[in-house]
Amino acid sequence: MRRLAVIVACVLGGVALFGSIADAHANYVRSNPASDARLVKPPADVRIEFSEPPDPKGSDIQVLDASGKRHDKGDVAPSGDPNGLKVSVGPIGDGGYVVAWTATSAVDGHTTRGNFAFVIGSGPLPAVPDVGASALPPEPLEIAGRALSYAGIALGLGTAFFVLFLRVPADSEEIRRESMLLLAAGALVFVGSVALIAEQGSKLPPRLGAVLAIRAFTGVVLAALSVAPPLARMRPVAALANGAGVMTLGALSLDRPRRVIALAAGLAAALTATLVSHATALGSVKSMVLDFTHILAISVWTGGVVALLVIVLLRARENTPEQRRALGATVWRFSVTALIAVALLVTAGALQAFDRLVLINDLYETPYGIALAVKIAMLVIALAIGALNLLRWGPRLRAGLAARAALVRDTIAESAIFVVIILAAAFLTAFAPPAQPSAAAYDQTQHVSVLRLEMLVASAQPGRNRYVLRVHQGLAPVQSAEKVAFRFTMIEHDMGEQELVAVERAPGEYVADGSPTAMFGTWRIKAIVRLTGREDVTTVFTLPVGAGGTGTSVVITAAPYTLIVFTDPSQAQAGAPLAIFVVVIGQDGSPVTGKALRATFSGPSAQAPIDAVEDAATLGPGRYKIAIAALDAGAWKVTIGIGNEVSGTYSLEVSR
Amino acid sequence: MSRLLAAIAVFAIVVSSFAFSSNVALGHEHRNVGPYTFVVGWLVEPAYVNYANGLSLDVTETEGGKPLEGLEKTIKAEVIVGGGAKTLSLNLAADEESPGHYQGRFIPTKTGDYIFHLFGNAGPTNVDERFESGPNTFDGAVSADQLQFPDKVPANADLAARLDQLQTLVIAGIVVAGLAVIASVGGLVMRRT
Repeated sequence: MRRLAVIVACVLGGVALFGSIADAHANYVRSNPASDARLVKPPADVRIEFSEPPDPKGSDIQVLDASGKRHDKGDVAPSGDPNGLKVSVGPIGDGGYVVAWTATSAVDGHTTRGNFAFVIGSGPLPAVPDVGASALPPEPLEIAGRALSYAGIALGLGTAFFVLFLRVPADSEEIRRESMLLLAAGALVFVGSVALIAEQGSKLPPRLGAVLAIRAFTGVVLAALSVAPPLARMRPVAALANGAGVMTLGALSLDRPRRVIALAAGLAAALTATLVSHATALGSVKSMVLDFTHILAISVWTGGVVALLVIVLLRARENTPEQRRALGATVWRFSVTALIAVALLVTAGALQAFDRLVLINDLYETPYGIALAVKIAMLVIALAIGALNLLRWGPRLRAGLAARAALVRDTIAESAIFVVIILAAAFLTAFAPPAQPSAAAYDQTQHVSVLRLEMLVASAQPGRNRYVLRVHQGLAPVQSAEKVAFRFTMIEHDMGEQELVAVERAPGEYVADGSPTAMFGTWRIKAIVRLTGREDVTTVFTLPVGAGGTGTSVVITAAPYTLIVFTDPSQAQAGAPLAIFVVVIGQDGSPVTGKALRATFSGPSAQAPIDAVEDAATLGPGRYKIAIAALDAGAWKVTIGIGNEVSGTYSLEVSR
Repeated sequence: MSRLLAAIAVFAIVVSSFAFSSNVALGHEHRNVGPYTFVVGWLVEPAYVNYANGLSLDVTETEGGKPLEGLEKTIKAEVIVGGGAKTLSLNLAADEESPGHYQGRFIPTKTGDYIFHLFGNAGPTNVDERFESGPNTFDGAVSADQLQFPDKVPANADLAARLDQLQTLVIAGIVVAGLAVIASVGGLVMRRT
C-alpha cells in the first residue's frame, strides 16, 4: 500500500504541476473593439480574448463589411494575452463591420465560433449573422475515440490494481487471463488515442497531440507487458521502474514488476484524460484533482469488476465449503475496495457537477446534462447490483454456501452497464458544460415556464450599462420574440419604474443599452419575454450595483433567499473596523425584513459570531449590518445564517 | 375644532393612500389617432387581480376637445395577455353620464401586463391600435396581497400551481411506493429460494 501511496502522490503532484493548463472549449470572453462598440477611428487590429488558450493554427478571425468583403490581413497570431488572438486590419472607412471568429481549443481541439459587430462613425450597427450553435457537436469518431480510451484506461488500471492489491493470480491460467485483460486494455487505449488524433486531422493542436501520443504510448506499454512479460524483467526496464521508487527488485516475484509498470501506465493514461478534460476549464487545481480522483475511482471499480469476473469468478470452483469461503473472501476484499471507490467517485463527481451545471434543469435540457443524467442512472443500477453482491452473495459464500453462478450473472450485468457508463462519459467529455465563463460582471440564469433565461450585465457600476438576456427553450435559442423588456426598480429607494426594450442582436440574445441602474444600491430587473401565442414569461433578477469602481458586492443564493453582500470599506484592512452589509431578497425580489442574521467566522484567527443589526430606517428595507471591530489579515469565510432556516458563505480577503 | 380634526384626518388618509401606491405607475395612455385623442387605461386603478375592472376609453376631438359619441357601435375592443395567448372580446358600452367615455368590463385574473386592442372606425378614421400597460402608460394588474387582512387569500393561479406541485409529489410518492413494493416482493421471493 505504501508503494501505491507513492505512485498516487507522484501523479497527483503531476496534476498540480500541470495546473495552469486550461480548458476544453474556447469561448469568447471579451474583445477590442468590444462587441457593438462605436469607434471614432478604425482599429489597427482586432483582439479577442477567450476563456482558454486557442490554437492559432486552427483558429480564424475575419473582419467583414456589410457586403461580406474581408478587411483583415489573415495573419491570426497570439495577441500577447494568455488566451488571446489578434488579426491585423487594413485601412477601413466609416461603417459597420462584423467580426466572425472561429477558435480551436489548444487543449482538446474542440472548435467554437461566433461573431460580433462594431461600427466606425455614427452609422447603424450591422446585423449579426446567425452562425448556429457556438460549440459544434462532436464527431462520431471523437466519441468512439473517447469511449475506447476510457474503457482501456478503466480496464488497465482496474486490472493492475486488482492483481496487485486484491487478489494475486494463483496459477498460470489466471496469469494468462490477467495478460489477456491488459492486452485488451492496451489495445483499447491505443486505438482510442489514434482515433482521436485522426479525428483532429491537420488541425491537431501540438499540445493535444503530445498528450494523445503519451496516452497511445501507455497503451503500447500495457499491451507489450501482457504479450511479453519478460520485457518487464529486462534490466533497463526494471532499473527504470526501480529508479522511480515504485518497486524493489529481488524480493518481488517475477510478475510483480510488470504489474507495477502496468499500474503506472494506467495512472499515466488516466492523467492524460484529466489533462484534456473539462476539469481544467475552471482553471483550478482543485477541479483537476477532483477529475483525476473521479477517473481513478471509476477505473478501480469498473476495471476491478471485470478483472474479478474474468480472472476469478469465471474459473473459480466451489465444490467444497473451503473453496466457497476463499471465493467469498476475495469478493469481500473487492467489495470493500469498490465501496471506497464509489464513495470517492460520487463525491468527486458531485463536486464537479456543482461547478459545471448552472440549473438542475440542465440535466435534461443540455447535451452535457443528458449524458450526465444517463451516467448517474446507470451508476445507480450498477450500485444496486453491487449492493446485491455485497449483501447477499458475498455472505452466502463466506458461510460456505454456493453463490458463484449468481455472482457471475450479476457481474456480467454490471460490466454491461459499465459499457453504457463509459459511453455516456465519452459524450459528457465531448460536450461543452452549461457553466461557461462570460465577460459580464453579472451573470445569472433562471428557469421560468420552460424558458432558460440568462441575464448578463456588462458592468456592476452605476451609470450606462448593457443588459443582455439570453433566451433558450431546451437546447434551442428562442428567436423573434414579440417583445423582450427589462423593468428596473430600486430596492432601497423608490425611484419609480423604468423600462428598456431589448432588440435581438443574435439568435436568442436580446440586448438593451441604457442607464436605468444609475445609482449605487440593489436593483430589481424584471425581465419580460413575450412570445407569439403564449403568455408573458416574467422573472426578476437582483443586481447589486457597486460604488466607486470597487465591484465587491456578491450574490449568494441561500434558497429561498438571495443575499447581496458587500463590505464597507470595500477593501477590508487588518485591524481596522469593518462592516458587512447583507441585503436579504425574497423569492419575489422584495427585501425581507425581520430576520435574525448571525455571522460566524472561519479564518486565520478566532472571531466570535456576530449578530447583524437591522435598521430599516437607516440602512433601508431588508438590509442588515454586521459590525466587526477588526479582523486579522488573511482569507476568511463568513457564514451568514438566517435564523435557523438557511445560511450562505461569503469569502472575505483582509489585507495587511 | 372637531371639523378641523376631521379635515386633517381626511387629508392624512388621502396623503397616506398616495404613499401606499407610490410604486404603482397609475395613469392612462394618451394617443392621437387621426383627428382624435384616445385615452386608455383601467376603469379602477390600481387594477387588482380578481376584482371587477375593465377598459376605460375616452375619445375626444384633438382640436376643441369635443367628445366623440357612438363609438360603441363602430369600435371593437379586446383585451390580450402575452403574445395573444388569451384574448377576450369586450362589450364596449357608452357611459350615458359622460359623453365620449366608454367601458369594457372584465375581471383581470393574472398579474402582469395587459394589452387593449381597439379596432374599427372612429368617424371616417380607421382605427387599429394596441395600448399596452407599462411604466410609461398605465400599470398592469397587481396582486391584492397587500390589502388583505388578517389572512391572505391565495390567488387562483397560486392555488393551481400548488395543486400541480402536489400532484407531482403524489406521483413521485406512488412511484417510490411501487418500487418499494417490487423490492419487497423480490426480497421475499429471493429469501424463499
